[in-house]
Parts: sequence; structure tokens; C-alpha cells
Amino acid sequence: MSIGPFTPKDHLVITTLGLEFAVAVALGTGAGYWADRRFGTAPWATVGGVFAGFALGMYILVKEARRMARTAEQNKDEKKNGSI
Amino acid sequence: MEVSETIAHHILDHDFGVMVGTLHLPVTAHTVTMVCISLVLLLTGILMARRGKSVFSRLLHTAGEEYVAFMRDGIVVPGMGVEGKQFLSYFCTLFLFILFSNLAGLIPQMKTITSNISVTGGLALCSGALIVYCGLKFHGLWGFIKTFVPGGTPWWLVPLIFPLEVISLLIRVCVLAIRLFANMLSGHMVLLSLLLIIFIIGGMSKMAGTGAAIPAMGLEIFMTLLELLVAFLQAYVFTLLTSIYVGLVIHSH
Repeated sequence: MSIGPFTPKDHLVITTLGLEFAVAVALGTGAGYWADRRFGTAPWATVGGVFAGFALGMYILVKEARRMARTAEQNKDEKKNGSI
Repeated sequence: MEVSETIAHHILDHDFGVMVGTLHLPVTAHTVTMVCISLVLLLTGILMARRGKSVFSRLLHTAGEEYVAFMRDGIVVPGMGVEGKQFLSYFCTLFLFILFSNLAGLIPQMKTITSNISVTGGLALCSGALIVYCGLKFHGLWGFIKTFVPGGTPWWLVPLIFPLEVISLLIRVCVLAIRLFANMLSGHMVLLSLLLIIFIIGGMSKMAGTGAAIPAMGLEIFMTLLELLVAFLQAYVFTLLTSIYVGLVIHSH
């Protein structure tokens, strides 16, 4: 069963997107914190890491949304061609 | 013992301190449980593969066939397409191992090994290795590298997009590990916390503790049943997500 234009596969991927976003921010923050301690640049690398992680999280969200929209469009086209 | 210490004692791994000469062997509650699960799975697999004459043997064989058919038609083919059939054995093993690991905690003296991040991390690394292997097998080295750059990307954006795509693959593998680990660990923590409510309130007043036991045990039974559902659900989700991620690499163009 699927809701809206999404396939059942998409529903499962959507449930992981929140965690992927959180891991991206945590990864960026961790990398920034490590760089701050290694090079003594506190707190700028951590701040930069947070923003970089946020950007990466947003990139993942937008990429998945675009992929799902493309799949939904393809499915719609296939349905239309099949019904003619 | 403090409440937090009691919870930690039941959830964390315990080293049995086995020494061979000066070598300290990593024999812990989790590794022993893992070996037991592997042996049970191995024996079950051998019994399933045999086509004996007894009713039990035939039942087991039929159950095995149904299980493999479910994995093929419900997880592998929808996620990866027909190309995924050659990796069916990996997915069958993965699902059963995670399921048995999740359920092991319900048996007294055994541990839920998937509440250990090292175990889920190892499983996720295997899935990550399968993703890379499939990418290399179906696209070749150059083709696989090209899958990290989405079609239509301007050339001047490639140095930025390529590392982002590589990191997002690593994040997917991390998410597989964290999701299973967090779900199993949190379930057990809730179960123990509900049980400890009785002792905390009982420490203040014996009567109140006895009164708290009835709703706490009701919630405990409900949560145990929920844990049973989560054990099946998380094994299914981990396997299906692996097949979807591998499928995305195989059909990346």
C-alpha cells in the first residue's frame, strides 16, 4: 500500500531521512570539534562543522525528494501510457 | 545499587575474563550469545536443507522454502530487481541473524546483542561492503565512481558534489547501524525502567510499592509484546533498507 505519489519503498526511505539529517549534523560537529582541538581554532571549526553538517543534511533531503518526485513522475507517465 | 547502575548492569556487556597465558580473550556475554545464535542458525539451516522422511523434517523443509520465497518476492526483488537474486543467500542470512539476535534477549541469561553498537556496526559494514561490491560489479570502477556525480551536474560543481555523495553513502551505512542499535537498546531500557518503578516506590512505602506493581506489570507485559513486534520489524527494516540501498546503486542511471 502506498500513500500519495510515493511508492512503499519511498515510505521506508523517508523514515530514515530524519536520522540521516541528524547523523550529518553530528558528523560535521564532531569533525569541527576534532579540528578545533587539533589546531587550536576553537570555536570556529566547530561552528563551521555544524553549518557544513546542516548543509550536507539538506543536500541529502533535497536529493531524495528529487529522486522520489522523478520516480512518481515516471510512474504517472507509465500509468497514462498504459491506459491509452 | 543505584537505578542507573542496575539498568547499565543488565544492558551492558560483561567480560568473563578468560585468559590463555598472558592473552586476554574477548569472551563476553555478547560474544557467547552471538556464537550460540550462529550455531542454532547453522543447525537450523542444515536441518532445513535436508529432505528427510519424517513429518518434522518435511515441515521444516517447507518452512525454509516459504521463507526463501518470501525473502525473494518481498524484499530482494522489489528492492534490487532481478539482479538481486544472486545475493538472496546474504539477505536470508542477514534477516534470520538479526531476528534471532533481537529475540535472544527474551531468553533468560541471554543478551540482545543488537543493543551493542559494535554488532550493528559490523552488520552495517557488511551491508556497506555489499553496496560497494554491487557498484563495482554492475558498473565497473569508473562507472561506479561516476554514480557519485548525479547526471546534469555542472563540471565546476563536481569537486563539491563528489565528496558529499561519498559522505552520504557513509551516513547511510551509519544510519543502518544506529537505527537497529537505538531501537533495541531503548526497548530494553524502557522494560527495565518499568520494572524498577516497583522497587523505587516500594523503597519509599511497601504498600505503595505493592499498589504500583499491578500497573507496572501490565505496562511491562505490553512493552514485552511491543518488543516482540519491534524485533521482527527491525530485522525486516534493516534487510529491506539494505536491499533498497543496493538497488539504488545497481539502478543508479
